[in-house]
Amino acid sequence: MGKATVIPFGPQHPVLPEPLHLDLVVEDEKVIEAIPQIGFVHRGLEKLVETRDYNQFIYVAERICGICAMGHSLGYAETVESLMGVEVPKRAEYLRVIWHELSRIHSHLLWLGLAADAFGFESLFMHCWRLRERILDIFEKTTGGRVILSVVKVGGVVRDIDATMMREIVNTLDGIAGEYRTIVQTLLSDTSIKNRTVGVGYISHEEALNLSMVGPFARASNVNYDVRMFGRGAYGDLSDFQPILDTSGDCYGRVKVRCEEVLQSIDIIKELAAKIPEGDIAVPVKGSPQAGAQASNVLEQPRGECYYYARGNGTKFLERMRMRTPTSENLAGMMKALEGCDLADVNMIILTIDPCISCTER
Amino acid sequence: MEKFSQSFTNLARADLRSLVESRKEEGWRYVQTLAVNTEFGIELIYTFMLDGKMVNSVITGLAKGDTMPSITDLYLEAFVFENEIHDLFGVSFEGLAIDFGGHFYQVAQETPMTIISPEQKAAREKARKVAEAKANKQAASRASNAEFLADHPDAMAPKKSGKMASPSEESVEAKLAGMDPEKVARVKAAIAAKAKKAAQQEQQSSEASSAVSEGVSAGQDTTLDPELEAKLQGMDPEKAAKVRAAMAAKAAKQREASPEDAQATKAGE
Repeated sequence: MGKATVIPFGPQHPVLPEPLHLDLVVEDEKVIEAIPQIGFVHRGLEKLVETRDYNQFIYVAERICGICAMGHSLGYAETVESLMGVEVPKRAEYLRVIWHELSRIHSHLLWLGLAADAFGFESLFMHCWRLRERILDIFEKTTGGRVILSVVKVGGVVRDIDATMMREIVNTLDGIAGEYRTIVQTLLSDTSIKNRTVGVGYISHEEALNLSMVGPFARASNVNYDVRMFGRGAYGDLSDFQPILDTSGDCYGRVKVRCEEVLQSIDIIKELAAKIPEGDIAVPVKGSPQAGAQASNVLEQPRGECYYYARGNGTKFLERMRMRTPTSENLAGMMKALEGCDLADVNMIILTIDPCISCTER
Repeated sequence: MEKFSQSFTNLARADLRSLVESRKEEGWRYVQTLAVNTEFGIELIYTFMLDGKMVNSVITGLAKGDTMPSITDLYLEAFVFENEIHDLFGVSFEGLAIDFGGHFYQVAQETPMTIISPEQKAAREKARKVAEAKANKQAASRASNAEFLADHPDAMAPKKSGKMASPSEESVEAKLAGMDPEKVARVKAAIAAKAKKAAQQEQQSSEASSAVSEGVSAGQDTTLDPELEAKLQGMDPEKAAKVRAAMAAKAAKQREASPEDAQATKAGE
């Protein structure tokens, strides 16, 4: 046994798109403890709610993070709506879910690309991002934005998707699904990828429950939890929804769960596009949240469950707005997964958690 | 599909540990901890979830510099939130598994979330004033309404349909409360006359509308605009009846909603 040494990892590291620092206590190339530190990009966005009214804050909410932009605006809008007792028209709910699922596809494709890049599989990275580009094109055609969509507002959505565009989306997704299956086949059956992922960063089902893990990270350890299964909003009209689970609990399982979730999202969008009802896309929202009124909400983001909290003070400004993002809930799980791993696997394990530090720090 | 529900419950500061211990035993999932800097001190909200039931437990009355017991021995994942609250609100946690001692986030100011910005102060003062004014207004209007109705039992005329009921009713009452009594009597008499006139008009218009639109259910008090009426005549009677019902429902909804809305917007300004 060698002497324990502390190796600093990050905040700047080739595998991390965002700043996360880890103190890795290493003994003979084995990590015996990992202590994470964040806090390099805290921007105080929750404090900003005091100077932006509840309609303006939606634009702040979606700028918390580029990848989760749609999810944050949706989660925020839903929270304020439940705070004020606003009921959103059915068509708006469908449109919101369609965009939200599209952003899940784009987020997972982005992640798969990054993961492939981290294994050193650059051509796979390019293919994933090429497909993702087509999702961004759909965003551009339907909302005008590629990353920050600004389509959700308190009371509904700002834009409609007409029948022609809806058909085009379904056709594009059909095209993507075909190509995507080929990519996934490579990703899941390639030996060099399996060598890097199978049995690495294992988390048992009990540990996952014990550490309250969320999202694909937890579902790869067979935790049957996905906020979408509560059937709120347009999800309730789906003929069936079963969270995608895996029992392996390792990095390979997490890759697999995300790969399958993309196909699941495509199915959800296609089903909703066929079922979408006619009608209004927004209701006018008047007045302000009452003083002392509070509401909480959960939403399944690409990275897992996100919790929102809002409190009113009788004016158009909110007293408090809070977002608890999936990554902050998964940090403890990440520490656990890193314990006992090889130093060379650290970046792979961190990546399979898909940390989003901008969201975590706000 | 599972059902989702959420609730807020109050929790005494001393009961936190026992609650969290029992939650852990029952297998609840820890969702989060957050702090709110209110006028009456800092509040902590602990959230747990089990089988789609989300419960937010609220602890009130904390102050900056207070110490709370940490729950990281039971739920390790809470270390992120407890360190965050220490940094941003100045409430520290005893027995934290990974304690950054107030240096988890790199912030320019100490405990930035406890600083009350001028905007927030103004918002709170405004909210207080609005609430006070509303309470006063309601009290005054209740008192004078009761008095007025005793004198003029015929003043309970129905409001004119489809139109916004004058939101000024209450504010007029509030104004009257502070006026010279003779003038008040005159104004009130004028209001009563107006209400009576409106009631008569209402009756006339509803008669007229029922004369034009046969088949519309009795008691409906909306007049459809003649152009639409002509269109409806040419339509399939079933569909026409549906459209009429929808219009009536819309008008009724407007009637219900408008006075509240007007008040709410006023409060929000």
